[in-house]
Amino acid sequence: MKRFLTSVFLILCTCPAFCQEELKIKFGKINPEDFKTIYPIDSNAHAVVIADIGSTKFVGNNKGGFSLVFKRFRRMQILNKNAFNDAKVEIGLYTIDTREEQLNNLKAVTYNLENGKVVETKLDKSEVFKEKLSKNLVVKKFTFPNLREGSIIEYQYDVNSDFIFNLQPWQFQGEYPCLWSEYTVSMPEFYKYISLTQGYQPYYINTRKDNSDYFSISDINGAEATQHASFNANVTDYRWVMKDVPAIREESFTSTIQNHMSKIEFQLAALAPPFTPKNVMASWSEVCQELLNDEDFGYALGRDNPWLNDVMADAKRGAKDPVEMAKNIFEYVRNNMTCTSYDRRSIDHPLKNVLKSKNGSEAEINLLLTVMLQKAGLKADPVILSTRHNGYTYSLYPLLNRFNYVITKLDINGTPYFLDASHSNLGFNKLTADVYNVSFDNMSGHARTIDKFGSPVDFIPDSLLESSITSVIIINDEKNNLTGRTTKTPGYFESYSIRNKIKDKGREQYFSNVKKTFNTEVELLNQAIDSLNTLELPVTVSYDFTFKTPSEDILYFNPMLTEITKENPFKSATRRYPVEMPFRMDETYLFKMDIPAGYVIDELPKPVRVRLNDNEDSYFEYVLDGSADGISLRSRIKIDRTTYSSEEYEILREFFNIIVKKQAEQIVFKKKK
Amino acid sequence: MIRLLFSLLSIFFLYAANASDGEFAFIKINPLLLKKANAVIRLDETRLEIRNAGKTIFKNHFVITVLNEKGERFAEFSEFYNKFRDISDIEGHLYDANGKELKKVKKKDIMDMTGRDDFSLIDDTRYKQHKFYYKVYPYTVEYSYEVSSNSTLQFPQWTPLPSEGIASEKSTMEIEYPLDYTLRYKSFNYKNEPELTKGKSSNILTWKIENLPAVWRESYAPLWHELTPMAIFGPDNFEIDEYKGNMQSWQEFGKFVYQLKQGKDALPDELKKTVHTIADPVSDPKEKIRLLYEYMQHHTRYIGIQLGIGGFRPFDAKEVSTKGYGDCKALSNFMYSLLKEVNIPSFYTLVYAGESKYYITEDFPSQQFNHVILCVPLGKDTTWLECTDQTLESGYLGNFTDNRPALLITENGGILVKTPKYSMNDNAQLRKIKATIDEEGNLLADIHTRYSGMQQDFIHGLIHQLSKDKVKEYLHEELDFATFDVNSFEYTTEKLAIPAINEKLNIFVSGYATITGKRIFINPNIMTKISNTLSTDSSRKYDVLLTSEYVDIDSLEIQLPAGYSVESLPKDVQIDSKFGKYTSFVKFESDKLLYYRKMERNSGRFPPASYQDLANFYNSISKADKSKVVLVKE
Repeated sequence: MKRFLTSVFLILCTCPAFCQEELKIKFGKINPEDFKTIYPIDSNAHAVVIADIGSTKFVGNNKGGFSLVFKRFRRMQILNKNAFNDAKVEIGLYTIDTREEQLNNLKAVTYNLENGKVVETKLDKSEVFKEKLSKNLVVKKFTFPNLREGSIIEYQYDVNSDFIFNLQPWQFQGEYPCLWSEYTVSMPEFYKYISLTQGYQPYYINTRKDNSDYFSISDINGAEATQHASFNANVTDYRWVMKDVPAIREESFTSTIQNHMSKIEFQLAALAPPFTPKNVMASWSEVCQELLNDEDFGYALGRDNPWLNDVMADAKRGAKDPVEMAKNIFEYVRNNMTCTSYDRRSIDHPLKNVLKSKNGSEAEINLLLTVMLQKAGLKADPVILSTRHNGYTYSLYPLLNRFNYVITKLDINGTPYFLDASHSNLGFNKLTADVYNVSFDNMSGHARTIDKFGSPVDFIPDSLLESSITSVIIINDEKNNLTGRTTKTPGYFESYSIRNKIKDKGREQYFSNVKKTFNTEVELLNQAIDSLNTLELPVTVSYDFTFKTPSEDILYFNPMLTEITKENPFKSATRRYPVEMPFRMDETYLFKMDIPAGYVIDELPKPVRVRLNDNEDSYFEYVLDGSADGISLRSRIKIDRTTYSSEEYEILREFFNIIVKKQAEQIVFKKKK
Repeated sequence: MIRLLFSLLSIFFLYAANASDGEFAFIKINPLLLKKANAVIRLDETRLEIRNAGKTIFKNHFVITVLNEKGERFAEFSEFYNKFRDISDIEGHLYDANGKELKKVKKKDIMDMTGRDDFSLIDDTRYKQHKFYYKVYPYTVEYSYEVSSNSTLQFPQWTPLPSEGIASEKSTMEIEYPLDYTLRYKSFNYKNEPELTKGKSSNILTWKIENLPAVWRESYAPLWHELTPMAIFGPDNFEIDEYKGNMQSWQEFGKFVYQLKQGKDALPDELKKTVHTIADPVSDPKEKIRLLYEYMQHHTRYIGIQLGIGGFRPFDAKEVSTKGYGDCKALSNFMYSLLKEVNIPSFYTLVYAGESKYYITEDFPSQQFNHVILCVPLGKDTTWLECTDQTLESGYLGNFTDNRPALLITENGGILVKTPKYSMNDNAQLRKIKATIDEEGNLLADIHTRYSGMQQDFIHGLIHQLSKDKVKEYLHEELDFATFDVNSFEYTTEKLAIPAINEKLNIFVSGYATITGKRIFINPNIMTKISNTLSTDSSRKYDVLLTSEYVDIDSLEIQLPAGYSVESLPKDVQIDSKFGKYTSFVKFESDKLLYYRKMERNSGRFPPASYQDLANFYNSISKADKSKVVLVKE
């Protein structure tokens, strides 16, 4: 499947007449006929974006360099109050120290139709609030005054930015349908950007035009006389337009909607004359070199770090064998550090302080783990990656802002181990399912080891198998009561969630819930959970149970007991983009029972075997056998692939429907006459 | 046995009292306090110094031993500040199990956080926070800090047990106040009067309690202050910003609030005209209220802006009229102003809102509110208006503010009243289903449901706040079937004093009935089931509190394929208890299943011993709701 297009501005252009088409729309020009109650594009929409038009130009500034001028104009009609919340606008401004992107010429107006006349209410400057959200982000925010159902709202603003790398991306598709979404960029020849395009919507207009522009730079910084420079340079005007873009929303079994919406982004790649030509977008190995020396990332790596001296003995716990030593250090970090935030690609505090304060982000904790492993003489490097919920990466380009997570790679005699010490219930050499992701181009290397080479690493959902085995044996005991024993070893991820539940609510609560999942009244005995604290292994849950002695003439019995699949995970009847499951699965249920004393079999569910999508490796089987000696059942659900196209959705849903129906079937016993 | 002895010995060895043990060593905790506790308060000393009506100093020193991971949340320091409050002198220490100091808080370790929430556009409240993130249990944290406040509108409370799962060795509260100052207080579950120490220029009142074991709230339990000791305090005269007030009575406190909102009801001339155009043509005042309320709903929306005194004082009606938005104070005041224009008097009304019913302490006038609504008295027929919701029926409050005390703010001060309680018949769910089941066990059902009163609150929000797609998604999540499609759904509202919503669903459920060979298994109760059961394991300590009452009535007709006859039919069920009534029965007649279910749930307060009966009530209903019909093909 082709998910994206990427190009270094070598887009061929065939240009029919409509390429010249401009949207005739101007800020402040609103007529009574512009107010509509319904739009053919989506009769259920709460709001419609009438136009969203942006542009970026490069200009010379008075600091001896260039600035970006981003202009945006957006007009929407709010059709009903469900969209009122989206009349709150937040404009993000990038900031470093005292330098900040400048918001200029902000205008925002609400238009209402009153007695056939357009009445406008302007946003007052005092109603714009500023808030600093993080070290590098300030937002200015406001809400539209006098908003009603049916209001048309529009705003425009400029952002002046000295941060050339921050060329604004453009999102053509969003929560509401959009009639016209347009972005133009006048790209001067002396900056080379890479554009990254994604989504399923076609361009209505996609053109480039060569032009030239006059640039004037001055430098009034410092005591020397102001210096001026001006020149003409070639620019290329790119124009992208999408028309009648439908709304997009996240459905279940989606990695993240961010991977699927139509969007264009830019990445500064190179400088050309009048600059000294050079590649700005470095290769992976160059980026790695930089990261290794970066105070916000790898500065402590490969150094002596004397601040670790006091803790190393405690952490190693006398281990001699390198694997045992690594495991001890891993456990030391995991058990002593509290992870207070995730989704960090860089560190906010020096690792020395992280160790001291005993808390940090996942990046800080795993980088601390890395330097401690190194300190112990082991070979360890950080790995950066993008988690599933953060979106795919581009394996080709070292676009660091795409990455949001850091783990540790340990190498012992050529055997790699991947460690994440930020989750208190995760074992040595184990990762959460969220780490398993892919790249846009389906090429190797959605994650990268930050070593000299920036070697690619892959954690692919298709490589994960969540396999569980449950066995149940029911016998007639000496008093002719039915008693049974369940032993269940779930997959690693389910075990992980059981561990979290037990930590949260306790063992008692866990088994009390198990008891409730029985469809009839039972008593549980000898409850046990093995490997609960051996975090590298799945747990094994076991318990005995007794039923009330049956007395009915006819006894109905569902052999699936607690392992019944009650719900179809695929709820919605249709699907608009691919289904992405977190892992492959293999669930086996084995069941054996004596015929209840005093009863005979009257009726048994029929065996069945169904393949998913004619795939030998994905199937459901339900094999039930019964005789006077007893009943045995094997139910197995095996799904060997994680991604399914929207065309395959119906088959997937039907597959689970069959499972649910079959597993609901009952054995019927009759009292012996 | 030897192994067990050994492990006991080693524990003893670890925790045996030792000459070098610090004051807060784990071993020094009274063992009785460790029972069912996740943390133990070793010491909690609070001192409130009231300098005058406009200034207080609050000092708190606490020491908490954390026993396990679940007690972790108690081991932190977190305090808010804003224009009226300053936090200073924060100190903190960390001790290991032996009470040996491990670490001290440095100034730069203290985090400064925004009080940003999802409801407000802007809020100037901020927090100071600190946590040691220590993980070797048991360990002990100690914090002390000071808060100086130039507002005396609200005093801190004394809660020796701040929440579930924490025990307390010792907790004291001291309040020092000038001789000429009137301090008011109310204690809960506290046997003695506080101790009075007289001084030359000030008096001190002291509350003290020792060795309180941890308390766990049971389901349907009364409010926290009924379960544990606590005390609340209030000033007589108080100040905030340049405002002065008195709260020795609700009347006086009401005067203060009245003062804050006074003179904020002027309307622009144009709006005055509009108001008359809307209201003048009708003569019924109730209708005038409805029309103006709808005008307000169509022309404003809720936006929270909490800056300085703005947290307590509404902004002008004029401002609401130009901006078209405001918070609960501003919008209620705006609605008040609209009504005033047509000579309908109304009262700005303070209330503590929220579905989880926290009731204010009625005999203790003080600032205990978090929301404002409007009360319009019309002889005996009072209309209540929630002004922050754009879709509610005029006069209907719903579960956000129903059935609780509220303070009317009149020209002559405050009057405490009660908001309406909705009766069982108000809160009804009436459901009729006509369905067919085919040879494969698939169900096709037409479901008509009328929800009214508080039973429609949630759906009201759903259909007014979500897009049609989202409502469908919600139905797909919520309906309890394995594989199904919602073929169509439709909601219509009935604009009544007790509003109602009619829901029409057409659903197809694949394999609803299970077919095994010649038998078919059907649960005739398709939609209305009690699925959660109450556990009866432990003995009940506190009263059972059921806060609302409702009734559900279902009647079903299911057409089956021909040729089946009954093998097993659930018995008729009839339950009659003080908590409510339940009836269900099912009949099979000429290829049709007929099912009827009625459940009435009462409200009220019941003694602890009746909990067992409540569990039986719910558990038998749950069982009856699950029972299946078994039919056999001839």
